[in-house]
Amino acid sequence: MTINKYFSSTWMLASLVVFAACKKDYTNPNQPTTAEVFANERAATAVAGGLQRVYSLGAGGSLYATIDANGFTTNELILRNAGNTGELQLSTGGTAVDATNTVMANIWTKSNKIIYDADNVIDFAAAMQDGTYASGMIGFASIYKALSIGNMSMFWEKIPDSTGANVGFIDRMDGFRKAIKVLDFGIGKVTASAPNSDVLRRLPSEVNIINTLYALKARYAIFSGDNAGALAAAEMVDLSKTSTIAHNALGLNAVYESATSTNNVFQPVDSTLGLPVSLAPDLNDQRIPFYIGINPTIAPRYRIKGFFASSSAPVPLYLPGEVMLIKAEALARLDRLPEALDALNAVRTKTPAQDVYGVGAGLPAFASADKNEILTEIYRQRCIELFMSGLKLEDMRRFGRPAEERKRNFFPYPFSERDNNGNTPADPAN
Amino acid sequence: MTAALHESPPKSVRGILMAFFLLVSVAVVGQVRLTGTVKDAQGNGIPGITVTVKNTSFATATDVNGAYTLNAGLQPGRYTVHFSGVGFRAAEEPLQVTAAAADYVLGASLERSSKDLDEVIVTGTTQGTTRKQLGSYVSTVSASDLNKGVAANALQALQGKTAGAQIVQNNGDPAGGISVRLRGISSISSSSEPLYIVDGVIVNNATNRVTNTASGYDGNNFVGTIGQNRMTDINPADIDRIEVLNGAAAAAIYGSRANAGVIQIFTKRGKTGAPQINFSTNFMVSKLRKSVPVNQSPVKFGGSPDVFTQDLISTVGTPPALPTNTTNVTRYDYNDYIFRTATGTDNNLSVSGGNDLTKYYVSASYFKNQGIIKNTDYQRYSLRANIDQTINKWISFTAGINYVNSAANEKPDGNSFFSPMNSINIIGNFHNIWERDALGNLKAVGERGRVNPVSIIEDFKQREQTSRVLASAGIKLKPTKNLTINYTVGVDNYSQTGTTFLPPYAYNVNTAFWGGAFPINDSLNGYVSAAADNFYQINHDLTANYEAKLSENLVSVTQVGYSLQYEKNHYIMAQGRGLAPVVQTVAGASTILTPADSRSEMSISGAYLQQTFRVANKLFLTGAVRMDGSSVFGKDQRNQIYTKLSGSYVLSDAKFWNIDSWNLFKLRAAYGQSGNMTGIGAYDRFNSYSTNAYLGKTALVSSTQQANVNVKPERQEEVEFGTDMAFLNSRINFTFNYYIKKVNDLLIARTTAPTTGFSSLLDNFGSLENKGFEIVINATPVRSKDFSWDLTAIYNHNRNKAVKIGQALTLLSTNAGAPVAIIEGQPIGVFYGTFFARDNSGAEVKTATGIPLIEKGVQNSVLSYAPQRDGNGVPSGTTLRKVLGNPNPKYTASLVNEFSYKRLGLRVQLDAVQGVDVWNADWRTRQGVGNGKVAEQEQMGLLPRGYINGVYAIEEWRIDDGSFVKLREISLSYNTGPLGKAFKGLTISASGRNLISWDHYKGYDPEVNSGGQSTILRGIDFGSVPIPASFSVGVSAKF
Repeated sequence: MTINKYFSSTWMLASLVVFAACKKDYTNPNQPTTAEVFANERAATAVAGGLQRVYSLGAGGSLYATIDANGFTTNELILRNAGNTGELQLSTGGTAVDATNTVMANIWTKSNKIIYDADNVIDFAAAMQDGTYASGMIGFASIYKALSIGNMSMFWEKIPDSTGANVGFIDRMDGFRKAIKVLDFGIGKVTASAPNSDVLRRLPSEVNIINTLYALKARYAIFSGDNAGALAAAEMVDLSKTSTIAHNALGLNAVYESATSTNNVFQPVDSTLGLPVSLAPDLNDQRIPFYIGINPTIAPRYRIKGFFASSSAPVPLYLPGEVMLIKAEALARLDRLPEALDALNAVRTKTPAQDVYGVGAGLPAFASADKNEILTEIYRQRCIELFMSGLKLEDMRRFGRPAEERKRNFFPYPFSERDNNGNTPADPAN
Repeated sequence: MTAALHESPPKSVRGILMAFFLLVSVAVVGQVRLTGTVKDAQGNGIPGITVTVKNTSFATATDVNGAYTLNAGLQPGRYTVHFSGVGFRAAEEPLQVTAAAADYVLGASLERSSKDLDEVIVTGTTQGTTRKQLGSYVSTVSASDLNKGVAANALQALQGKTAGAQIVQNNGDPAGGISVRLRGISSISSSSEPLYIVDGVIVNNATNRVTNTASGYDGNNFVGTIGQNRMTDINPADIDRIEVLNGAAAAAIYGSRANAGVIQIFTKRGKTGAPQINFSTNFMVSKLRKSVPVNQSPVKFGGSPDVFTQDLISTVGTPPALPTNTTNVTRYDYNDYIFRTATGTDNNLSVSGGNDLTKYYVSASYFKNQGIIKNTDYQRYSLRANIDQTINKWISFTAGINYVNSAANEKPDGNSFFSPMNSINIIGNFHNIWERDALGNLKAVGERGRVNPVSIIEDFKQREQTSRVLASAGIKLKPTKNLTINYTVGVDNYSQTGTTFLPPYAYNVNTAFWGGAFPINDSLNGYVSAAADNFYQINHDLTANYEAKLSENLVSVTQVGYSLQYEKNHYIMAQGRGLAPVVQTVAGASTILTPADSRSEMSISGAYLQQTFRVANKLFLTGAVRMDGSSVFGKDQRNQIYTKLSGSYVLSDAKFWNIDSWNLFKLRAAYGQSGNMTGIGAYDRFNSYSTNAYLGKTALVSSTQQANVNVKPERQEEVEFGTDMAFLNSRINFTFNYYIKKVNDLLIARTTAPTTGFSSLLDNFGSLENKGFEIVINATPVRSKDFSWDLTAIYNHNRNKAVKIGQALTLLSTNAGAPVAIIEGQPIGVFYGTFFARDNSGAEVKTATGIPLIEKGVQNSVLSYAPQRDGNGVPSGTTLRKVLGNPNPKYTASLVNEFSYKRLGLRVQLDAVQGVDVWNADWRTRQGVGNGKVAEQEQMGLLPRGYINGVYAIEEWRIDDGSFVKLREISLSYNTGPLGKAFKGLTISASGRNLISWDHYKGYDPEVNSGGQSTILRGIDFGSVPIPASFSVGVSAKF
């Protein structure tokens, strides 16, 4: 009997161990892995579309953060609640802005994320057989890669040379040139073989790829002092076309979501747009009612409007006025003053009805033969035409505005970078 | 074969049953009737003593008079009968069974035991061992200690009753989450909750977010682990006792998942004898223990509250300036509106009994308690049946089934400005929130789109329900005298569903709070969600135990075991905004938001071998080795080996020991390793892309966190030394434990340079260390015929720090704005941030108008800085940061005094948590929006204008003293003894919980945590409901 029991027990034990032998490999049904994504053109295209999502959505996105940081630093905006620590630092300016600043960290982090994934997309597409499909992916990804490089170059003295561990840094002017290279590669692919309908229907359709590539090239060329290049690129932009970041109820306009609708973060300083008295907008400037709302009863009186007035308002990737003013500036700097004046007045006299977005000053023409006067007027027009576009800090430096007009020149590198990358440059004094 | 296991578990059960029936057909033996009475030294019968015929499966327990009857199928021969029970030293009596007689009488007299040395501890073994043999500390809490307060669930009942544990109720909701930390935290990235085992079955204690689902709810910040945790399903009245294993040294046998310790719960089981019916009913009342004072200033700065609500920190004009004009206002105390006196009831009925072969325990309970926040409540139905069946001399089995159904009416949790607490914290107290327009609609609260608290209390509907089955079956075989084989299978299956309904607002509410802003955008206004979490887990445990007497003084016990766990979870959530009037389902949303559909599977298996030597019943040595594998880790790291070694020596049992007044002296030492097999999610080791609907297309976005496919589980190593002593015939007992618990290969989502393309990297980095000691003193200062006084004191001291994490500073961005940091050499989760400038005498450096300044200077490193002053004595340089506070307490302690006079009993428990800081986000907010007392001073001119605006950004201003001593439990009871034929006993009791707190905290209650059950977010007060003071009166009857 004992033998019997031993036998039975052993049999039980053995059968248990066998049935309980255990499966250990489960695949994730929720998310594809990196390898799976970049083995499939549809998935890789979805990553390209995702770049725009990362760039534009939420208070952590680049779009919101650049408008926020630039707006406080250049006096476009006022703070509504000192409990917003990052914004409080920026609105105070100077040494109050430190490496913990969350707004700056958002620009830095999102820019690098976008560059990292854009590189994945571009590398994948460059190896594709179908050139007409690949060109759409490359063109689209290049826009957000260039914007990310360019945004960093506007706020920091030096920018990362690439993505990866312990990356080196390059001068921000080289950063703009790097952005131009990215755009040129995109322009080359798109012009060599126009994107086919398959790729275009999978990407956000409100973006006009080729026009945006040229417009951004013009922007970064003028920023980096390549006036001839800026002029040439600007000439290539079709000003009758729009190119926007669209929004809907699933992807709200970030500025509307966090600032306009809450009245708790920032509002425009007032109808001067933060410009000094000498440059204050003309009282008849029709762009002021476009950009500034008025609330006669509840403080503050001056409210965000423009491209951030509703949850679904699209945000242009560039404005026709910017392209026109780039032309004017390039011509002026190339000492082609009469042409520059014409280009400048094209913006001054543009009525809202003549602009694809309704941005129009409707002012009389400006007359001057003095280069400096023309350049100052170009600066003033840029400040008004491109209100809350995140570009004013760069303009202030390029046009040599007095340091008192801004709260900081350049920004400290986020601690997340400094603590983990020994190549991080020293922080600027202010 | 392997796949079949997961798809059809019944197949495996069939296998067991087949084997089982094969085996039943053995042994037929004679029936023996054994009776007797077990008495104490004074000759009084002792109830509840377990009587076991050794090396058989026959056992019973004594009744209330100490008598027992045991019918056993025994062949003629020599047997040993074993008598044991809590508080008594076990005894053995020989029994000679002959073929001639069927009836035997065998009594026993038991001595009160010192420190319950002979109490049987089941945790960590299959057969059970005695406390005397343990080389490590295991605490046991019995039902009588658990059920005297007004505890709503098992973990609340355990507060202050076990050494080494910090048990925090994180939220005062009636089913508010509770976190348990045994000897500090044991991880950073994953849960630090212990492994819970109920009757041998691993029980899931997840916190699932089926309500509070909104994604915009916590923005991009880290919110923690909020909501109910599933241990709330276990009915405390069903619990017989709880064993707590604090660390790896004790818990090595649970190797795979025991990093944070083990809490093993044993439910009540039937005993031989006439059916015993227990009925108890309690009526409970809860209320807010302490409110916060509100601003009573008759004026506010600036104009009307409707157009300028946030008057302390908002500027007007160009250039922007703080307004100094004032407006008269009426002040309200919204606390009176959101809180109420809540009532509840707890009813339990159980029937237990059995004969020698079959024993049962069946219970039913209904618990319902209202929350102190209006319109919140929680109810729970629970049914349980436990059966023990002896088949024959060598086979017995057990089965248990527990069905639980719970439902809660909730309000949004803290961490959002649309929770009841936050809604009154984020507005000045000068709005008539009850005012309605001609159409009966509520009005906007000021100009900032805040949610009116009346909407939250009256209109928001948030509800969750859980339906759960816990089932277990076990078989025990004793094929030969010294061999025992156990097999247990357990299933935990629940469905937790939740619905959230934030109806469209009639007034301007921020879109971030699911409003439609102004003018109201109907496609955004209102929020609705429905979510479900379905969880299934099965575990199998097989062990064999062999005991061999190698010589007169040397006994060897060998144990081998195999365990397998498989779990599957499916979370699904639909949500939308922009709601149609009236409709409360997602179908009524005009904007369908991104749904969630998350599925996971994982399995863990392991085998172990444990060897114990008992030398002369004085020296005990145990060694064990265990191998485990978990599917969540990389292939190469999957199988991990854990070892354990422990020993104890009872010096007072040695021949030379002759100190009469010192009757016990035991020394023990233990070393053990354990792992964290569920330390990361099922698929966290893969770099993946998340999918999102974007502009009508699919967008893929790579995670912000980089993964490492070869990540391995965290490994804990613990060394523990301890002693147990008893003096004066065990009137005084003393236990001391010292431990060093180190978690290596710490899984940290470490901040990485954003230029890598990722914000963090989840990998194994460095260690964390907990060092500390525990002291437990039990004493009986008075023991006489009618009066006795028993005292228990527990003191726990723990120091936690990060070691060699290879990164100077990891700062987490949290929802409450708490700068939670991981810093080399510092306790985990400290608050690290900006602070007040002070002069050499420690006084605050202020502006000419008397506004304190932030400290500036040169920051040399994370922990080193040099303040700097400019020519005017004003701080200059960069803003400095330092460690501001620590949410890990310096020590926790509890003191229980129990008095009994004849049939009257009084129990008083004080709990202390000292040396702990709280991030009081709410207190600062109250000043900023103008409903706090500092705001009152500024408005009344007692503080300079701009004071609050000036200090608002200084993070030190939000650090508060979280130390407290609480009157945790007090209960007075009267036991009538037998009342006529009907009642075997009747107990009437009145008790209270959390009635008094002695603290200096500026908020409601320092004992809350808005990070919920999060490991790393501790001591954060951001909208959590304070823990109520509760009273209860009850009757419990035995029939």
